[in-house]
Amino acid sequence: MATAVATPEARARVDRLERIWTERPGLVGWLTTTDHKRIGLMYLFAASAFFLAGGIEALLVRTQLAAPEQGVLSPQAYNQVFTMHGITMVFLFVIPISTGAFGNYLLPLMIGARDMAFPRLNALSFWIFVASGVFIYAGLAVGQAPDAGWFDYVPLASKQFSPGMGIDFYALGLIFVTISTTAGAVNFIVTIFKLRAPGMSLNRMPLFCYAFLAVSGAIVFALPALTVALVLLELDRQLGFHFYDIAQGGDPLLWQHLFWIFGHPEVYIIILPAFGIATSIIPTFTRRRMVAFPLVALAEILVAFIGFGVWVHHMFAVGLPTIVTIYFAAASLIIVIPSAIQLFAWMTTIVTGTPRFSTPLLWIVGFIVFFIIGGLTGIMFAAIPFDQQLTDSYFVVAHFHFVIFGAAVFPLLGGLYYWFPKVTGRMYDERWGKASFWVTFAGTLLTFFPMHVLGLLGMPRRDYTYHAGLGWGALNLMETIGSYVLTAGLLIVVATLVAGLRRGRPAGDDPWGGDTLEWATSSPPPAYNFAVIPKVSSAYAMWDRKDREEDARKLDRGELVLDRGHETPASTVLDAELDEILAMPSSSWAPLLLALALAGVFAMLLLGHVVTAGAFGGLAALVLFAWHTHEPQVAR
Amino acid sequence: MSEVTRSMRATTGPAVARVARRRVALPSGWWGMALFVATEAGIFGSLIAAYFYLSFQATRWPPPGIDPPSIALPLALTAALVATSVPMFLAARAARAGRAGLTGGLIGGALLVQGAYIAVQAVLYADDLRSFSPRDSAYGSAYFTLLGAHHAHVVVGILLGLAVLARLPGGLTNYRVIGVRAVALYWAFVNLAAIFVVLTELSPSL
Repeated sequence: MATAVATPEARARVDRLERIWTERPGLVGWLTTTDHKRIGLMYLFAASAFFLAGGIEALLVRTQLAAPEQGVLSPQAYNQVFTMHGITMVFLFVIPISTGAFGNYLLPLMIGARDMAFPRLNALSFWIFVASGVFIYAGLAVGQAPDAGWFDYVPLASKQFSPGMGIDFYALGLIFVTISTTAGAVNFIVTIFKLRAPGMSLNRMPLFCYAFLAVSGAIVFALPALTVALVLLELDRQLGFHFYDIAQGGDPLLWQHLFWIFGHPEVYIIILPAFGIATSIIPTFTRRRMVAFPLVALAEILVAFIGFGVWVHHMFAVGLPTIVTIYFAAASLIIVIPSAIQLFAWMTTIVTGTPRFSTPLLWIVGFIVFFIIGGLTGIMFAAIPFDQQLTDSYFVVAHFHFVIFGAAVFPLLGGLYYWFPKVTGRMYDERWGKASFWVTFAGTLLTFFPMHVLGLLGMPRRDYTYHAGLGWGALNLMETIGSYVLTAGLLIVVATLVAGLRRGRPAGDDPWGGDTLEWATSSPPPAYNFAVIPKVSSAYAMWDRKDREEDARKLDRGELVLDRGHETPASTVLDAELDEILAMPSSSWAPLLLALALAGVFAMLLLGHVVTAGAFGGLAALVLFAWHTHEPQVAR
Repeated sequence: MSEVTRSMRATTGPAVARVARRRVALPSGWWGMALFVATEAGIFGSLIAAYFYLSFQATRWPPPGIDPPSIALPLALTAALVATSVPMFLAARAARAGRAGLTGGLIGGALLVQGAYIAVQAVLYADDLRSFSPRDSAYGSAYFTLLGAHHAHVVVGILLGLAVLARLPGGLTNYRVIGVRAVALYWAFVNLAAIFVVLTELSPSL
């Protein structure tokens, strides 16, 4: 316990909390858990498993392209592998690990809450995510993986040109995963609005939470466009509708519009959590507050908002009217401003602070470097003639890998190191941590930088091979070597963390002198997170020593300990004044059962058994009803 | 501490009413439903946008051989459905006042109208399917998909109403009050969306 337990009364209170919040032991405990930390860890491991799969697919692609005219993969297999790589990394790795794992584990801790606003919905999000991932990979297992790229353009994806079931696995699987992502986003927003510790008014909320608020808002409004696009695609494919069929009055461009109305906000959905992690790590390791806190908070929200107005820049080459493309080119340039505000705020904070380049900060520096590279090439694509020249070339692949891998995943890896002591209670080895960074950094540059050159030379993306006479072999070989170096770097990350888990020295509650509330509790945090709901009077709550001492006194007095039930306080939305005390639901089978019933619905829709799908839907409705008959005020 | 309510402990009418009076902010359940309907609004927005996108590409909308939709009956039906927002709103108020009987009566009354609405709509939908098919033209696809999505939301709303109703004989608890409020909010959204859907559907005749 971080909050010092001085008196027998305080001891008794902590024991009561322990008894109330401890979940069932063993496997049943994990299957029925509603603890945001356990759900976060399950997200971490599940998303990492998908990362492994997506990583193997990437290595297969790079191995095939290592030299001209190779036959490691057949053209058909190559199409499936790069499509699965894209889907996996976007939908089954980056979003689940950033929101599901980091957000779930950390956000309630940072705002001083004992759980998410809807703990059972949180478990449901996780189980649906796992079920949908298995669903999509079942397609690969039966040799019917989607093969039309991650953006799945019609008419290629129509029944006529993709008669197999691969596209159906894609469409139904993604509809399924959007349920999980949306439920998670709703949960984050309500948690941020309602469960902030008394005193944490919006202007005192950590920037990490602003990033998650922005991401969740973008998810709520962006994913419906994808869901509709996919539903229309399935109606066309399975029932013979004509949304995308030009011969019967449909229009393939409708797919592109709907997909990119989702697809561009998606880019910010992917990268904003990384921004949030960067703004957590930088103040801790530079020993100063973030420069321009309100501007950075505003910029995080603005990026998510403007992200909805730029989608056509993915479609500059399809022949839309000039007036339309010019509008979207301008919007795509404007979004640079809030991004640059954040970039300069991070850099200024580091330069004007007293930086300590430990492993987590190194990853953030790597992130900044790659975000500058990926951001600059992004601005280039806002220029219509440039885009028309390089669309669908390897330059695009270079650009979005710097953004998605360099800028979005590097902070996640830095975050793994940063919060490792909190989650495990142990330290990793600093030298190996730094080594893992440098190897991964070098591997990333070597893999993705030559892609710019190849793109400028005219190498198209998605082709399974290239002719020997084109002279692209050396750069491609360099990239393939880079991808193996990158893999080695990631393996060192895993090895360093596993070694830390086994042999690391005890970390203590706050090894870094962090600025946010997760460092106020013990490592690993107890099931109830905080013995006392913490007092908050600034955005850097852990640096307000007096408040933390006040917490200890409150525990002695029994104030805001809430040891009479499974309880957490709810506050007003703007000012975070204590409004009521909520009893939270605890462990339940309903989320897992509901996810399984929904998996039945989607499996039956895939096989065309509409009636059986309806039966599973009825089962899902019954589970949902049973869920709500178990009301949280009923004592366990 | 004494002034802060342990709202989930409210399991009687008077206790529920006291909690509702004391609460300053909107409850989590209300926010959850508000965000759910926000994402649902995205679904309807995308469907309606798809409808108009396709209609703007077409030379004739609806295509030759399909009659433009009749106006009077769909508008009258929508008006009846939208009117159920009133009893649902009143039910949410009655629930906050701790009056279980009145809450149930109002929800039941709304359910009768909503049930009649979906029954008539189902007959009309089947009628339309006999005169033209979603498989013949993009118009048919857009028309039946948009209407079908709306009907599905009405059915879900009826199921939600029934589920809440089934819990009311056991009396009101804070959890159930928030449930009633969330269902009322869901219906407010479905009814608002119904107006946009019917205007879209009737646009070729307007």
